[in-house]
Amino acid sequence: MLTVDLKKRFEKKGETAFRLDVSFAVENGFTVLTGASGAGKTTVLRLIAGISTPDEGLVKIDSNVFFDSANKIDLPIQTRRVGFVFQDYALFPHFTAEENIAYGVKAGNQKTKIERAREMLALFRVEHIKNRIPREMSGGEQQRVALARALASEPLMVLLDEPLSAVDVETRLKLLDEIENAQARAAIPFIYVTHNEAEAERFGKQRIHIQNGKTID
Amino acid sequence: MIWDALQLSMLVVGVTTAIVGIIGLALAYLLAKNDFRGKELLDAVLTMPLVLPPTVTGYYLIVLLGRRGLVGGYLYDLTGWTLAFTWQGAVVAAVVVSLPLMIKAARASIESVDPNYEIASFTLGKGKFETFLRITLPLAKRGIFAGLVLSFARALGEFGATLMIAGNIPGKTQTMPLAIYEAVAAGEERQAQILALILTAVSIAAVYSTNKISRSRIYG
Repeated sequence: MLTVDLKKRFEKKGETAFRLDVSFAVENGFTVLTGASGAGKTTVLRLIAGISTPDEGLVKIDSNVFFDSANKIDLPIQTRRVGFVFQDYALFPHFTAEENIAYGVKAGNQKTKIERAREMLALFRVEHIKNRIPREMSGGEQQRVALARALASEPLMVLLDEPLSAVDVETRLKLLDEIENAQARAAIPFIYVTHNEAEAERFGKQRIHIQNGKTID
Repeated sequence: MIWDALQLSMLVVGVTTAIVGIIGLALAYLLAKNDFRGKELLDAVLTMPLVLPPTVTGYYLIVLLGRRGLVGGYLYDLTGWTLAFTWQGAVVAAVVVSLPLMIKAARASIESVDPNYEIASFTLGKGKFETFLRITLPLAKRGIFAGLVLSFARALGEFGATLMIAGNIPGKTQTMPLAIYEAVAAGEERQAQILALILTAVSIAAVYSTNKISRSRIYG
C-alpha cells in the first residue's frame, strides 16, 4: 500500500500562489495519474521520489516511511529506492544501453552488473542495442532501457512521467503492454502519469485525477 | 639563460596547472551546484585577478604572503621560510591569476549539464560524489579541459604578479616572460626572439586546441 499526502505552496512573483494539495492511497498495482498539463502531475512524482520537498505531508510505502512532516522524517532521494522513468528518459548520454542499466544495479562487481543488465535487455527484447549509446536508439528503445534501468535498481515502486509522449502510436500500444507486464512481474506499485485519455482508459483500474493541484475523486 | 628560464617555466606551469585543476574544479562545483550567501561575491573576488593589473594582484600577495605579510609573517616566524623570492612564490602568483579562467569555464560547463541526469543518478541510489565523478564530470569534460588549457597558457605568460612576489632571479625565479624582459633590457635580441617565439607558439596551440575542443560535439 502506497500512501501519499502532499501539501506544497509555490510562490511566483506577480501571480497568485499555486497550491498543491494531493492525497491518495493505492494498492501495489498499476495506478494512472491523469490531469491537464500544469495540474501538478510531474510535481507529485518529484515529491514522492524526493527530488523536491513538500511543505507538509506523508509519503510511505508499506512500512517504509519516505517523508513524514509530523515526525520530521525526510529520506534523501538516494535511499528512497524509487525507480523514476523521466519524460525524456534522461539516459546517460555517454553510456551504452547496458552501461546505463548496469549503473543502476545495486550489488556486485562490474562484471555481474553487466550480466544483470544483459538479462534486463533480454527481458525487454532489446539485446541487440546493448552497445548503443542513447543517441543511436529509437524512442521506443530508449523507453525500454529507461524502464529496465529503473527496475535494475530493485526499487520499491516505479514512477513513470508520460514515458510514451515521444513515441509513435503503433509502438505506443506495444510498449503499454510491456510496461503492464513489467509491473506484473515486479509486483510493486507503478504510478503512470499521462494526459492521454486513451492510455488512462486502458489502465482504468486505479485512477487518480488531479485538477489545479488538487485530487478529484 | 634560455634553458634555465624554460626549465623553470615548465616546473612552475606544471605545478600550477595541477593545483588549478584541483582547486578550480572544486570551486567551480561549489559555485555551480550550491546556493549560499555571498556566492556571487566569492565568484567576483576569485575573478578579480582577471581584470586587476597583475602588479596589483602581486601587491596583495605580498601583503598577504610576504615575509612580513598577514599570513606570511606567521609562517616566517614559525619556520624561517618565506614564499617571497622562491619558485613556489611564482607558483602562487600563477595559480591566483589563472584560477579564474578555470573556474569560469568549468562552472559554465558543469551548469550546462542537464540536472535530470544527476537526479536520475540519485534515484538509482548513487551519492553526490559518485554522481559527480561518473555523470557530471564526463559530461562537462570539454569545458573543464578547455579551462585547464587556458589556465596553463595564462600561467605560462604570467609576468607582473610573479615579479612582485617572486622577483626576477635568474635560475631561481626567472620564468620565460621575465627572461624576455631582461633580454630586451640588456639588448640581447636573439634570446628575446627565441623565448618570444616559444611562448607564442605554445599559446597559439593552447587557444587553438581549446576552440577545437569546445566546438566538437561528442554525444549530440
